[in-house]
Amino acid sequence: MNLSDAMNIAQSSLASNAAQILILSRNIAGANNPNYSRKIALVTTSDNGASQVVSVGQATDQALFTSMLNASSDAAAATALSSGLDQLQQTVNDTQTATSPSALIGNLSNALQQYATSPSDTALAQEVLTAAQSLASGLNSASVTVQQVREQADAGMAASVNKINSLLSQFQTVNNTIVSGTQAGSDVTDAVDTRNSILTQLSQQIGIKTATGSNNSVSIYTDGGVTLFDNVPMSVTFQPTTAYTASTAGNSVYVDGVPITNSSSTMGLQSGTLAGLANLRDNVAVTYQNKLDETARGLIDNFAESDQSNPATLPTAPGLFTYPGAPAMPANNVNPGLAGAIEVNPNGDPGQGGSLSLLRNGGIADPTEAGYDYNPTGAASYSGRVQQLIGNLTQTMSFDPSAGPDTSDSVTGFAASSVSWLEVAYQNATNQSTYQTTLASQTSQSLSSETGVNLDNQMSQMLDLESSYQASSKLISTIDNVFNTLFQVTA
Amino acid sequence: METPYISSASISTALRHSILQMQTQLTQAQTEVSTGQVADIGLSLGANMGQYVSLTQQLSSLQTITTTNNVVATRLSATDSAMTDMLSTAQSFLNNLVADQNGTTSGQVMQQQAASSLQSLTSDLNTTVDQQYVFAGINSDVKPIADYAQTPPSAAQQAVANAFSAAFGTSQSGTGATNISATDMQSFLGTQFAGLFTGSAWTSNWSSASSQSTRSRITPSELVNTSVTANEPAMQKLAMAYTMVSDLGLSNLSQGAAQAVISTATQTVTSAISELTDLQASVGTMQSQVINANNQMSVQTNVLTTQINNLDTVDHYEASTRVNELTTQIETAYSLTEQLHGLSLVNYL
Repeated sequence: MNLSDAMNIAQSSLASNAAQILILSRNIAGANNPNYSRKIALVTTSDNGASQVVSVGQATDQALFTSMLNASSDAAAATALSSGLDQLQQTVNDTQTATSPSALIGNLSNALQQYATSPSDTALAQEVLTAAQSLASGLNSASVTVQQVREQADAGMAASVNKINSLLSQFQTVNNTIVSGTQAGSDVTDAVDTRNSILTQLSQQIGIKTATGSNNSVSIYTDGGVTLFDNVPMSVTFQPTTAYTASTAGNSVYVDGVPITNSSSTMGLQSGTLAGLANLRDNVAVTYQNKLDETARGLIDNFAESDQSNPATLPTAPGLFTYPGAPAMPANNVNPGLAGAIEVNPNGDPGQGGSLSLLRNGGIADPTEAGYDYNPTGAASYSGRVQQLIGNLTQTMSFDPSAGPDTSDSVTGFAASSVSWLEVAYQNATNQSTYQTTLASQTSQSLSSETGVNLDNQMSQMLDLESSYQASSKLISTIDNVFNTLFQVTA
Repeated sequence: METPYISSASISTALRHSILQMQTQLTQAQTEVSTGQVADIGLSLGANMGQYVSLTQQLSSLQTITTTNNVVATRLSATDSAMTDMLSTAQSFLNNLVADQNGTTSGQVMQQQAASSLQSLTSDLNTTVDQQYVFAGINSDVKPIADYAQTPPSAAQQAVANAFSAAFGTSQSGTGATNISATDMQSFLGTQFAGLFTGSAWTSNWSSASSQSTRSRITPSELVNTSVTANEPAMQKLAMAYTMVSDLGLSNLSQGAAQAVISTATQTVTSAISELTDLQASVGTMQSQVINANNQMSVQTNVLTTQINNLDTVDHYEASTRVNELTTQIETAYSLTEQLHGLSLVNYL
């Protein structure tokens, strides 16, 4: 033991202090970065008593990180679904302003009731016609909205797939850096932070599971079990569809050739924006469109005219409400796109060369066929047909099961139950989205709380380091003095 | 010993999140206070939204039917007052006939009275409400009864003249008419003449009304007849009695034949009055049906309004308390943020 050793130890203390201050300043710089994890200097004492920083560690909590990834996937799926449903339910939300098909049917029924009481009043007939036109255009625009929502979902899926591919290629670079860094024993903590941040972003797009392999390498799988990344990224492919009609079926997203967003897929995706959008595009919006189409069919059926002559020879044909397939009646199941195509028969519209009196008398189906005339004498106060129409609106009919569980109801009831169905879906999705978003924000807060930087903590460490630095410097100058004294004595 | 750890970022983010949340809630609470209705009805009702929509529709349908019932009630009341008028005319005609049984009134005076009664019946049956003939059945845009005494002669007048000359070989004012025996006249009145006022003869010569009366929905489930038509036997009999006295040349007839006319007319008017009374009672029934329907619907309207309010309105007091609470909470959060900002070791170094 001699003074030179003391000098060396004091010097190493200076170096170790400097290294720790470096880490401290990195921590302070990253204090407000949510992806930054606290770095910890691993200090050891060597054989001769000198202290040195051998490596840099970082605060981690794998369990919290995994649950944060899951929570952010679930939140993203719920948010994607709920924002789509939000748009859809705008078509029914306010019955006061009468924009929903259900409220418009109510208006039509009221207009018919007034007309039935004074069938000779053409102003009331005009009102029936206007109510019928608003109903038809209400169904048309609801149908357009549904298909727009599907188009947006499809575009969202395409954007999500691009993002996933770009994130996967970034992931590859960072993962390679970490693997080679770990092999070489260098500081890879910042790269790990970057990799975790990429995983967080990825989990918002697509539900993922991770597995850590040798040399700190990480493989990624979808929550359905398809490999997304294993040393190299798998290609995620999707063929977007730009224009949607009721009968368009969107394409599935494939990972390495395996479909993951098909409902029939065995390795289907459960969460993430991609799953939420696919659910919206392929299930929710499609069912709602079916409901609109069935409502349109119900209206065409209820207003259809039959041959009044005996024996009847003419087929039953669409009356006030018609569609491009007339004079044939629409098939007794979901007719894709019927809600978008339903229109008021021009024969009943004076603006298009028709006659309002046909609303009272019948014959809108074909004014040239006497068989469809319910009021052959042309009596001005004949209300039988209009009363029949009012009755039809509350008459039970059967609906296609693919448009929901309400298979036997009146068209008025069916329209109301469609509103219920949509609002239930909206309510669930919104609650789910609120809950999952809160959960995700809480998990990410807990994670940040566990692994983030506490400034006060760093500051007090800085005071310690400062004192230690001052002490070491003092030590060096004292030893220097001792040497000087010694040199003066010997000189 | 493991000390609890918290990062500086999470201290401030926690507050930031809660401020955002409270501000969102504040806007909702404000909407609810200002509108008195829940901010997002679909979100708060969910599965009950269908019920809400149905209730709203039922309510508006009841309101519509109540409005249309007013139209029906106006028509029925016009019908009722026209029938009251017909009854009083018939009654005073009957009084005159009874007074004339002993032949004190001259034939011409009787004829004039009968003609004016017929005119009054015609105008009663042609009563209109809102340009619609209330006694015309569903054929409400056509005047049900043409004026009998018009020139050129109405179809009805022509038919009576034809039947008279076919039976007696002379016109009502012709000289031959004085020779008609009481028995012949009696038989003519009972068969050929009576035939003019029933069935297809009535509908082709007298009445353009449809026998089908108008039907109205007076409650969502009740579809009832809401008119009486000019083709009712009571109207036919009245027309017949007035016509036989006015247009069979009463003053020109022999004493016996005239007596036969008067006594047949008396019988006919008597039976017409009783039938007309029944008919007016049925109008009264229709009116009370409409009133009952309105009362019933007004009860339903109240029930529905209450149910709808239960679904879509918020407690004003609760909502404004919520606004106050949130405002206080947000202010607390602001002051906390400020205090936390000051709370740093750096300030003491």
